[in-house]
Amino acid sequence: MEALWAAGLPETATGNETVTEKSVGDEQRLLQRARKSDSSAFEALYRLHVDRVYGLCLRMTGNVSEAEDCTQEAFIQAWTRLDKFRGDSSFGTWLHRVAVNVVLGRLRKSRREQDRMRAVADVAPVRESVGDSAELNDLEAALGELPSGARHVFVLNAVYGYSHDETGEMLNIAAGTSKAQLHRARRLLAQQLNMGTGEA
Amino acid sequence: MNKSDDNGMDREQDELMSMARRLPEGVAPQRDLWPGVAEAIIVDRRRASFRWNRALAQAAAVILLVGGSSGITWFAMKQNAQTPAQTFEAQPLALQPVSGNFGSDYHLGAEFMEARNDLASRLEQRLQTLPQETQTDVRRNIVRIRAAINEINLALAEEPHNSLLQELLLSSYREELTVMRRVEGLASSAMRRTDI
Repeated sequence: MEALWAAGLPETATGNETVTEKSVGDEQRLLQRARKSDSSAFEALYRLHVDRVYGLCLRMTGNVSEAEDCTQEAFIQAWTRLDKFRGDSSFGTWLHRVAVNVVLGRLRKSRREQDRMRAVADVAPVRESVGDSAELNDLEAALGELPSGARHVFVLNAVYGYSHDETGEMLNIAAGTSKAQLHRARRLLAQQLNMGTGEA
Repeated sequence: MNKSDDNGMDREQDELMSMARRLPEGVAPQRDLWPGVAEAIIVDRRRASFRWNRALAQAAAVILLVGGSSGITWFAMKQNAQTPAQTFEAQPLALQPVSGNFGSDYHLGAEFMEARNDLASRLEQRLQTLPQETQTDVRRNIVRIRAAINEINLALAEEPHNSLLQELLLSSYREELTVMRRVEGLASSAMRRTDI
């Protein structure tokens, strides 16, 4: 935490916080230092973004342990690829892209993803309570039940606000496929939450 | 499903999307994940540093070896200009003891020392069996190499832990050994590099 205080940045920052010009400037300075292999600067960047990256990983994998591994791997990859970050997007968005790649890479390695996830789900406390109300918690729980394709699109598009083009690019699918998966996710979620299906 | 149903479904779907956007983007991990990241970063930095240092050292070694070789040639030419060829014939080649601070990176093996002493002790005797012109060439080469060894030793006295100088010194000792072995007429079973 010392590095963070030294950098004059807030102790924690989530994606919901307003990004001020000062914080952007601070982030740029931290990036410059991190590019020069300053690990304390990179730690400050980590502290700034870890919650948002972990949130994405948790929702995409549906598993705490997997999400922790993916988050660490994403930051390690970000460190080794810092020189490739040109600032075309925000650093947070770039980190999200790295994290999505890590998650997809890990899922691809596992041919029995569903079985593995379910097996882990049986023995580990899967879902963290992240919402501020019962209905948000229900939504989080329902998200975990979605098929991975639909879940990934819903998380990126509906929760994190990426466009279908951006979502498609991140997931390496067409924008049209992203739209179709979102539609599927919404339908399945509505069914699970007994919303808008006429079946309630 | 009629139009009213559609509208109701759309409303519910909008509510779903609205709920999704109210979900906090950030979720704090249950444990601090930084130590694992930091550990990997340190390893990565060490590897990068090692690769960079190694590349630099190799480049510097090449430069030094080329420069050293040129220096030896220059030194020999200078000596040639100042010293008549007969000097090599007149002066017996005294064996210079191995000297210089090899630091912790290099060591002259016992086999090397033994081979060097043996070859040096028979060198004069073997030289006498060679044609005069060959004797002169050999003496000239050995004098050059030993002069280079002296120069490197002087430099090493100031920088005893300079691994590049150490490598250059060992290379010069190997050159000396090679010349003496040629004189000796030994078979081509050269000493293994690990002996040095």
